This record gives sequence, C-alpha cells and structure tokens, in this order.
Amino acid sequence: MPQIEITNLTKRYGKLEALSDFNLQIDQPQCVSILGPNGAGKTTLLKTLTNIIKPTSGSVTIDGISVSENPMLALQSVGTLIEQPEFYPYLTGREVIEFAARVKGANRAKIKEELDHLSNLLSMEEYLERKTGTYSRGMKQRVCLAVALVMEPMILILDEPTFGLDPRGMKEVRDLIINLKKERDIIILMSTHLISEAKEVSDRVIIVDRGKKIYDTANESNDNVVKVTLETPIDIKHVNMKLENVQLTFLNESTFLLKLLNGMDNSKAISQLLSLGYKVKWAEPYNDIEEKYLKSVSL
Amino acid sequence: MLIITILVSLLLTYFTFTYIPKLPSLFSNFKGFFNTPGFSQRLVGFLWSFVLLDLPVFASVFFGSPAISSEIETRTAFYVFPLPIPRYILLLSKYFAAVSVTIAVIMVYLVVQGIVFYMVFNGILLLPFFLSMGLTILFIFSIVAVTFLVSTIFNKNTYAYISVFLLYFLIFNAYSIISEVLYKVVPYYLLNNSASIIERVYLNISTGFGSFTVTPDGAGYSDILTSLIIMLLYTIVSLAGALLLFERKEVK
Repeated sequence: MPQIEITNLTKRYGKLEALSDFNLQIDQPQCVSILGPNGAGKTTLLKTLTNIIKPTSGSVTIDGISVSENPMLALQSVGTLIEQPEFYPYLTGREVIEFAARVKGANRAKIKEELDHLSNLLSMEEYLERKTGTYSRGMKQRVCLAVALVMEPMILILDEPTFGLDPRGMKEVRDLIINLKKERDIIILMSTHLISEAKEVSDRVIIVDRGKKIYDTANESNDNVVKVTLETPIDIKHVNMKLENVQLTFLNESTFLLKLLNGMDNSKAISQLLSLGYKVKWAEPYNDIEEKYLKSVSL
Repeated sequence: MLIITILVSLLLTYFTFTYIPKLPSLFSNFKGFFNTPGFSQRLVGFLWSFVLLDLPVFASVFFGSPAISSEIETRTAFYVFPLPIPRYILLLSKYFAAVSVTIAVIMVYLVVQGIVFYMVFNGILLLPFFLSMGLTILFIFSIVAVTFLVSTIFNKNTYAYISVFLLYFLIFNAYSIISEVLYKVVPYYLLNNSASIIERVYLNISTGFGSFTVTPDGAGYSDILTSLIIMLLYTIVSLAGALLLFERKEVK
C-alpha cells in the first residue's frame, strides 16, 4: 500500500518561511487536493516531495524511504508533474515519454505498450511524433501527464494538472484522475487553485496558507451534515417537511443540507425523506470547502 | 564552433604553405636559432598549437556552460530532476557528452594539423605532435570540468558563459601578472599556464612578465609531467565540486 509521510517539514528561503512545521500523512489510496492561494506553499510542498528542493528541517518519506536521503529509491514508483515543466525542444513527445519510461526500468516492448496506452488515453496520437519545441501549452501539459503516468506509478504528485488546458481538456484530466482513483489503488496528491476541481476529484482536501496547513477534511467530522439533491425541484416557500432530529437548510430549489441532530444517522434521515414522497437523486456528506477557504485564507 | 575551427585550420594551413620560407624574416628575434636543425618546424608547430590554448576554451564554454544552468533556465529540470536518476549520473553523462563533442570539434583542427605536418615535414614532428594532441585532450577534460563547476553555480546561461570567460581570460591572467610583477613567481599552477605545455612541447618559449626566454627544443618531461598533474587536479577537483553543488542544487 503506498504511503506518504511528511513530518515537521520546514522550508526557508532566506528569511521567508515557505513551509512551516508542516505535517501530513496519507496512508491509504485516495486523492488529496492541496488548496491555497498563490504563494501559500503548495508547490514548495510538492517540490520537497519530489527532490526538486531540500527541506530546511523535518522529513519527507515515501513508502518509508526518505526522499532527501534516497531519492532514487523513494521516487521509483512516483509519477510527477511539477510547475509545468519544459522539455528538450529537439525531442519528440514520444522520445520524452520513452526516456521517462526507460529510466523507470521499462524494456522496449513495455515502452511501446506504455506509449500506445498513454497516447490513446491522453489523445496525443496526432502530435506525438512532432518535436516538443512546436507544442502548445495544452499539448505540453498532456505530455507532462503522460510522463507522470508512465509505468503505472503507485503515487501521483500533480501540481495544477489542468493548468493550460481548454475546458474540454480540463474535464478529460479530471475524469482521468477520477478513473485512476477507481481503477487502481494509488495515492494522488495534487495542488489546485480551483475549489470546484478539488471538490470534484478529491477524497480529502487540505487548505494551505502561508506555509501552514490550516484545514484538513480528514480532521473534520463529515457525518453531521448531508447534502441532498432531489430529482424534481420543489417550492421552497411552501414546503413543509416534518423531519425528526434534522435541521433543513435550502441551497436552491432541488438541493438542501440536512444537519443531523441527537445522534440521527444519514440513512434514517434519507428514509424519512423517502417516506414523505420525495425522490432523492443524490446524497453525500457535506463539507463546505469554499466557505472554509474564504474564512481561513488570508487576503 | 565547427565552422570557426575549420576556418582557423584553413588559415593556418595557408600560413604554413605560404610563409615557411619567410619564417627567419618574420621572427627576427629567433634569428640565431634558425640554424638549429628542426627549429623552423618546431616554430610552425608552436604557432599551430598556440590556437589550441584558446579554441578548446571557446568550445567547452559553448558546449559545457549551459549544461546545468540551462536545465534551470529552460525549466527542463522539472522534467528531469524528479525522475529516478541519481544526479551524479546526470552530471557525469552531460560532462562526458560535452567533452566528447569538444574533442570531436578540436579533432578536426588536429587532423588538419597532422595532415599539413605530414605533407610539409614528413613525420619529423611526430612525437611532439602526439604529445601536444594528448595534452590538448587532457586540457579539454579539465576546462570542461571547470566550465561545469561554474555552470552548477548559476541558474542562467549568460552568467555561466561570462563567468568562465572572466575566470579564464581575465582573473587567471591578472593573477599571473600580479604574481610575476610583485613576487617574481610564475603561477605554474594556474590552468592557463599549465595548458601552455600544449605549445611548449614544440618550443619551450617562456613569456613571463618582462622576461622572454627561448629554448630551441621542446619542454622537458618534468615540465610535461607537472602540467599533466595540474590539469588532472583541475579536472578532479572541479568535477568533485560540480558534483557536490549539483547534488544540493534546488530549483526554486
């Protein structure tokens, strides 16, 4: 089972403390989003995880192996996309991916298999044989993702993976992350500016500001609020839902929050709704990341 | 770089074929030596090798200076650094690539020189020629190592280019002059001074500040050995320094 452990991580650039006593443990396959404003320390965190920078103090281990002491072993099963890298302009997209596959130990047959799979998965067939110097930002981003995904890593570290992509490309990448999560037991640690993206793809969201972790959904109890979406909109003004041990807050005509009181659990609350004749389309534990973000992140 | 090398070798080929009979009048300072057998040939060898003190510096700066700094400047470091490749392998691979391409370019000059010498001198200068060639290759190893050391310090190519030129052509020379004027000591341990062995294997001309001595023979084996050890030390120390710095290199 892949594992990431960050303990008391501090990174200083001169007097500036980019990361301050940062702790994070991911010990099960899941998608974790790091959310934060510019300069919050998101990229610094991901850079220390991938040996691009060294910590001032503290430790970063991947599968129990220290990244700064033994980067080669620690990063063997890690795929990375950090800060929209550039490639050697005289290499084709195919050669860029091939090189990454080769240093990760792929033989010729495996390289071909990986190239076919990734070019199909990321829709890169058209330009894979062209030199990367002629690529657009979006094309480069897809090749970056292919490099990260090559040789099926157990841990994916992605720094703003949808950056530079058009809306369709963004959706494709999000779907890709969701599918990877479903199909394989891997850890995906990604940074993003987009709250909607974090909510859509992540199992856990961490908000970072000024080098500190200020909110982690893993530490919050999600059980007491449920977000419910009905199949058909209702008239909010005249609705009269008589539900026991539940407090209702409408978000719009078909969506509302159920705050569970006095030990009421999710399934009983939903059963009450169904017994009143309401058709529930979707129900999920609710975390208002946006609200938390705006409250906790400094301007 | 290759074009410059070809141009210089063509110029010297022209010079050799045209001016050999006029050497005594061109180099009147050496008038007494022209009776010594083989002196004219050695003088031509010396002149050909004079270029080899600078040409490898330009080539190594051209091929070696951006080796590390460009990874940062062009952001390819974000592609390469997180891959599971030890950094020392990355640096050494780039080093040997830069050394190989520099040797390949300089070899064009040396091959032309060899052909010209064979045609004009009929094998008289065989030993000094091969000695000079070997020392040039060692000089390439050392100057590329110095270039790599400088390249690991900077994050911008321009700074790396300028710094190597300043170090080699200005700081080393200034230090030499100061040492010779104030302390009457030639700093033989500087790379540019030890590299002068490439030409001194033909003719041992010493051009210290305010002094000028000529021996009609090439430099002795002790001189060659000293220069060889110094160039070797520059190679090892610079590479070790570059490896240490590169291991700690961060991309901020």
